[in-house]
Amino acid sequence: MVQFHQHIISDLLEEPSGGVVVLSAGLGLPKLVSTLLTLHDASQGSVLILNASPSQKASIDADSRFPSITADLSLPHRLSLYTSGGIFFITARILIVDLLTRRFPTTALAGILLLNAHSLSDTSTEAFIVRILRSLNRSLYVRAFSDCPQAMVSGFAKAERILKCLYLRKLHLWPRFQVYVSQHLERDPPEVIDIRVPMSTYMIGIQKAAIEVMDACLKEMKNTNKVDVEDLTVENGLFKSFDEIVRRQLDPIWHTLGKRTKQLVSDLKSLRKLLDYLARYDAVTYLKYLDSLRASESFRSVWIFAESSYKIFEYAKKRVYHFGRSASGKPIGLGKVASTKKRKLDEGNKDEDAATTGLVLEEILEEPPKWKVLRDILMEIEEERQKQEISGQESVVGNEDDRNGNILVACKDELSCIQLQDCITKGSHKVIREEWEKYLLSKVELQALPKFKKKKPKAPKGIGILDGVIPSVSGQKADVSSVNKLENDALMAAAHEISKLAKGNSDIRDGGTNKEHGKSEGKKKKHVFSEPDPESDTGVQSKIPTLKHDEVRKPNAGHVLKNTSESECLDKRILRKHAQEPENVQLSSVFFHALENDKNILDILQPSIIILYHPDIAFVREIEVYKSENPSKRLKVYFLFYENSTEVQKFEASIRRENGAFESLIRQKSLMMVSVNQDDQFLEINSSLEPQSVTAQNLITRKAGGKKGVEKEMHIIVDMREFMSSLPNVLHQKGMHIIPVTLEVGDYILSPLICVERKSIQDLFMSFSSGRLYHQVEMMSRYYRIPVLLIEFSQDKSFSFQSANEISDDVTPTSIISKLSLLVLHFPRLRIVWSRSLHATAEIFATLKANQDEPDEAKAIRIGVPSEDGIIEDDIRAENFNTSAVEFLRRLPGVTDSNYRLIIDKCKSLAEVALLPTEELAALMGGHKAAKTLRDFLDAKFPSLL
Amino acid sequence: TSVSSAGANRNAIIVSHRQKGNPLLKHIRNVRWVFADVVCDYMLGQNSCALYLSLRYHLLHPDYLYFRIRELQKNFKLRVVLCHVDVEDVAKPLLEVTKTALLHDCTLLCAWSLEECGRYLETIKVYENKPADLIQGQMDTDYMSRLNHALTSVRHVNKTDVVTLGSTFGSLSNIMDASMEDLARCPGIGERKVRRLHDTFHEPFKRAV
Repeated sequence: MVQFHQHIISDLLEEPSGGVVVLSAGLGLPKLVSTLLTLHDASQGSVLILNASPSQKASIDADSRFPSITADLSLPHRLSLYTSGGIFFITARILIVDLLTRRFPTTALAGILLLNAHSLSDTSTEAFIVRILRSLNRSLYVRAFSDCPQAMVSGFAKAERILKCLYLRKLHLWPRFQVYVSQHLERDPPEVIDIRVPMSTYMIGIQKAAIEVMDACLKEMKNTNKVDVEDLTVENGLFKSFDEIVRRQLDPIWHTLGKRTKQLVSDLKSLRKLLDYLARYDAVTYLKYLDSLRASESFRSVWIFAESSYKIFEYAKKRVYHFGRSASGKPIGLGKVASTKKRKLDEGNKDEDAATTGLVLEEILEEPPKWKVLRDILMEIEEERQKQEISGQESVVGNEDDRNGNILVACKDELSCIQLQDCITKGSHKVIREEWEKYLLSKVELQALPKFKKKKPKAPKGIGILDGVIPSVSGQKADVSSVNKLENDALMAAAHEISKLAKGNSDIRDGGTNKEHGKSEGKKKKHVFSEPDPESDTGVQSKIPTLKHDEVRKPNAGHVLKNTSESECLDKRILRKHAQEPENVQLSSVFFHALENDKNILDILQPSIIILYHPDIAFVREIEVYKSENPSKRLKVYFLFYENSTEVQKFEASIRRENGAFESLIRQKSLMMVSVNQDDQFLEINSSLEPQSVTAQNLITRKAGGKKGVEKEMHIIVDMREFMSSLPNVLHQKGMHIIPVTLEVGDYILSPLICVERKSIQDLFMSFSSGRLYHQVEMMSRYYRIPVLLIEFSQDKSFSFQSANEISDDVTPTSIISKLSLLVLHFPRLRIVWSRSLHATAEIFATLKANQDEPDEAKAIRIGVPSEDGIIEDDIRAENFNTSAVEFLRRLPGVTDSNYRLIIDKCKSLAEVALLPTEELAALMGGHKAAKTLRDFLDAKFPSLL
Repeated sequence: TSVSSAGANRNAIIVSHRQKGNPLLKHIRNVRWVFADVVCDYMLGQNSCALYLSLRYHLLHPDYLYFRIRELQKNFKLRVVLCHVDVEDVAKPLLEVTKTALLHDCTLLCAWSLEECGRYLETIKVYENKPADLIQGQMDTDYMSRLNHALTSVRHVNKTDVVTLGSTFGSLSNIMDASMEDLARCPGIGERKVRRLHDTFHEPFKRAV
């Protein structure tokens, strides 16, 4: 166990009621929690772990010893687990339901562990759970954890409010700079090699341009005078949380903002991604992303029209290919250009006979500079190991260790992992070439097909913009479109050539796993692109003799990889092992790991060399912890940064931000006004806020004892699914009695007459366009005298639909006003409640119920439940369905309210639907026309965007 | 009264004389309107009418709304209370208005500007006989909108991702059949989206119970 974890645990155990622990990212929170759990003894009662993300679950409970309690388990099963004294993960939704229906034996509970404490607020379900538990069983503990200090300070006195809503008073702060932590981790630090890789000229150009545009956007934001200027820095702009900073300031006044400001907010997001991906993706993938972005971004985008944006597109293209007169045939002076090939366009090109002559499409295919560096590092390691081997086995243990040691390459995402792995096995040039071919192929495939009913006219303006040439650029303006057309044709011609060859090859499209290899083999035979292909391949290889395997191994490359995947004991998607053939003594084992997978990779692999291809602060901490746990192990860490890049900037800023957050937490902690005996007083605290709540909470116990309260208590029946929202919590705070059941019609039943469908603003817009709201209101009107639509605004957002300037000149069908008007015209009995906040909603509910009877639980459950054709109540419950798949299915053309159930009944999954021929679909859906509509949509070729 | 006399006014909003001087009238531009003696403030059709209420006025005269609603009697199927939210602190007055409207069979519509108020009146008049297609889930029928509509139902997937997926795999059935690895190869599709998409397509519709 890590030493400072002991400190944390003993601090935490001192306080019987529990506490909140905040520690730096990467300091081993899952390990801390699992160590804490080993101290648990079944005689104390059960422990419930709330709010854990799937990856946290996996790393806390590596051997899956702790079952999960979800709504899928039957009630008796749940009860037996609750009383078993074990440790369980549980969803807040089912726990609160069991607590409210009083099925929960609270005395059997030792305590609760709550993860991601930073996501709590006093209206969240977790707070609701703790409040009820505390009122029923004072002796249990609540231990909350967070490793996201930045999120703990985002908002006024957030830490204090979190403590309050959990009835805790102890806040334990464990930053990386805490004495114990730093002493411990720095006692025997790993050997660190920091490599700064210079970016290519074009990368620098793109970065510079992107920062310029970002800066311009920020300046414009400042001019709106709507946002606190202090936060608007490029540095902040690099972080995801920047969106939150801006949104938090703008949300309350969102409706007063003009289109332009809103567009700026989303533009900044796009720009942040562009900067991020620049360091992550190779040139071709980056260009592809830009193409997609350009095609999907609305024409309103501010940034796309900025002068510097033009440079982004231009440079991104230049990293991949050059199109121009043959005179400019020289490769643009770039050291890192792997190879440049010229290819005269086909003279026989049908489209452009005359114009093409003299025009050349040159492939540049710049490789990411880090690729080469990574290769060099791996070679260097190999050489060193060989040298050591030759020079004899001095220091046997260390050497042994080192020789067998795994090498771990850590990247941000899966894509980079796959690419880097291919780089090592196939050679980097091949990788980028394959990307390029894929890029071209995707273009030609789209082009070749008849235009699918595309309504948008292909205006010349569209083409100009989609090709990245901004019409406003002077000088070139005259022949912009014609040059574009030629360029486009050239790309197409190149693509056609590849696709022709591809078609010649067997099973490239359908070949599933062999796809990649099939393609590369085919290329080999037919010399797709080039005469100098073999030379250039060997050219790359001659530089790295240790890695020359392409030539020899190509035929069985697929075989090798297959073997690997079969022998892979670990989850194939997480680890990609680069296995060497036995006769190849070189690199023992290189593993690629995607950081976003969030797995406890270090303990699994026990690497002795780690290459941080994309440095990440949390992972660096994990390495430190890993090293201090294995002090005898020799560990070498390589950092790969692009020199002077936003990558470095972001890394350094993330450290600063975290430290800043902790400093602010330390300050807050010293000023915090948490009552000393909060957990004795909590009932009083509550009662001073809400006079009714004590009686309500007492009532629960009283009723459990079989007594009935004398005072009139309000009952509200709430649909199970509603426990995702905070309203039930607030209603309970107001002293209402909540009865959770599964409702088919409505979300809240206030009385035998009043049924309420709750819609947040976002839900409202979405369910209008999906038609769901219409259906729901129809059902409510059918079964209840007073059907109510509750439109719930968020407290910290503006109370209105839209800004005045968003109201168009005339009645438009897309406007929310039109949709609401149509709804009230068709359902004149529908009542609409407009609520400013959760608390206002609770108030309104209480008022509406005032002179009404209490709702009937048994009746409410039966309403709207289809009883015919054997559908029983439980079958239609959402938790038994893959709701995302069902929703997706229902959105497909040809699928209707009446036939989607048939499909679900007879098909296993969407993937299966995707493969069914029309006849079978027709049999399923009970109609040929619908089936054909669906089949056509599934098979329709994605329209070309060029 | 005036209803019978004004056959020509069938396509117009009939405005009560009470509303004379209400700046709201300036914003009824897309529909003709005429003054007449009607019991409601705005008659929007054979069966629908509206009362206009400014929250500020309500604070001064809390009983006004109730009396106006009582006057209406049961002559209209749709009785709208058009509430102009023109005060900062809305909670209390809005609660009262909500309660009055709900308990006396009126539909409450809130608007935050006179333009918006005007637009509600216009829309209800214009849509008087319109079928409900618009809110029954029909939408743009071109390929891209439909594809966006379907794919963006998967959480976290945005329009850029739809383009990326489409241009990578060529058709929806190919996307639906793609392996996790192939999905992960698309730029901008991170771990989370890969899993969401894959689960949506490959997890069975019905969970094993």
